[in-house]
Amino acid sequence: MLALFALVTVVLVAVAVHAVRQLNRTVTASDWVNRTHALINELEGIAAATQSAEGSLRIYALTRDPRDLAAGRRSQVRLADHLEVAGALARDQAETARQVARLATLAESRSAFARELGSAPPESLATLFAVDAANTAVEELLRLVERLVTEQMNLLALRDQESFLQAQATRWTIGLGVAINFLLLAAGAWLIRDDILMRRRAADAMAAANAQLESRVQARTAELSAANDRLNLENLERRWANQALEHQLRYNHLIINSITDLVFVITKVANISRINPAVEHDTGWLAKDLINRPLPELVRLTAGDLPLQRGLKEGHDLRDLPATLLRSEGGEIPVRFTFYPLRDGNNVVGGVVILNRATA
Amino acid sequence: MSHHILIVDDEAEIRQLLEQFLSISGYRIATVATAREALAHAAATPPDLVISDLQLEESDGLDLIAKLKAAQPGLPVILLTSVLFDRQTVEENLSKRVSAYLPKTTPLNQLLAEIQRLLAAGK
Repeated sequence: MLALFALVTVVLVAVAVHAVRQLNRTVTASDWVNRTHALINELEGIAAATQSAEGSLRIYALTRDPRDLAAGRRSQVRLADHLEVAGALARDQAETARQVARLATLAESRSAFARELGSAPPESLATLFAVDAANTAVEELLRLVERLVTEQMNLLALRDQESFLQAQATRWTIGLGVAINFLLLAAGAWLIRDDILMRRRAADAMAAANAQLESRVQARTAELSAANDRLNLENLERRWANQALEHQLRYNHLIINSITDLVFVITKVANISRINPAVEHDTGWLAKDLINRPLPELVRLTAGDLPLQRGLKEGHDLRDLPATLLRSEGGEIPVRFTFYPLRDGNNVVGGVVILNRATA
Repeated sequence: MSHHILIVDDEAEIRQLLEQFLSISGYRIATVATAREALAHAAATPPDLVISDLQLEESDGLDLIAKLKAAQPGLPVILLTSVLFDRQTVEENLSKRVSAYLPKTTPLNQLLAEIQRLLAAGK
């Protein structure tokens, strides 16, 4: 695109330079034409002044009237003026200048003749005119003037033709330059249109890609959000299960610990697996000292160990039996002994022993 | 408009867990710790369903449920408790007083299914 505009600029500059050159040539040619016309005028003036002066001298030859001689002398003065101007106009053309100089010489000879007439006695005038009749200076001067006019007219015609051709060439050059630039600008407009279309297509493609990306991001975000929700739910389920278990255990502990009677949970072989706080409070034993100890070491049934062994084995209750409880610092407390077997399905897996203080 | 569920439990963690879970499931949740707060809230913003514990600090859940139903008959209520009842007790006693009985060991998705069932039945 840049190269195209550079080319347009080059063509424009070339056309402008050519036009300026042609303009300068036209101005120069116009000056020359004006000068040539002026020279032709002056040459025609020379011919007219010569004929006027010669006419006045011929009349003087017939009339001997000094006024006719004076008129001839005035015409010769105008002739001299025309010659001076013509010489100035022809100074750039050597051949023409030389011929104008020849005209001046011929004119001077006619001026000298007039001066001689003016100073000659009247009786010698006829002789002077007779002698002058053979003089061909005037004819030569007029021929020379005519030839110069013809030459200048020919030059003008030639220059006119050149000017026409030059103007024609200028018109063609400018027209061609304008046409080329128009074509180049049209090509530029076409390229710009193509470029705009291409950019628009690229922008559309990018927008489509962005939309697709956005759609993917949204889908991915939705997936992540769903996964996050699933994780949150799983986490909540886990926490719920844990708290439910913990709550259930705490509730079970609460039930046993809230009983003021002494409660022992024992295994199938009568080892203590759990006590309630009332046991520690009433016996002085700590839980850590009692866990896994055989219950008969601490609690003695008056009837011996057999009823408890049978209860554990056969899975039946023992209610309100007399027994003694060994305190940690020594000494025994009389208690009433109740036993409930712990069943898991059809199996007895242990039992619960409840002691309450025997009333006196 | 999503359904409004009132949760009554004296344990903060249980209230929090249920609120999070049911909010994710799309319900509007209000939680209170006591029966008095529950009655005040239900009077101000009648719920579409109530989940209540049995053992509350100043009252018990069944007493609260009776009061709520007196004010809003047909209100579905789930009794969610750590107290385990045998099937016979549930069928012959609790079922007349509550819409559903669930132990607190019930998985959350099962609780959600029960809520959806009760709300759908109430439409």
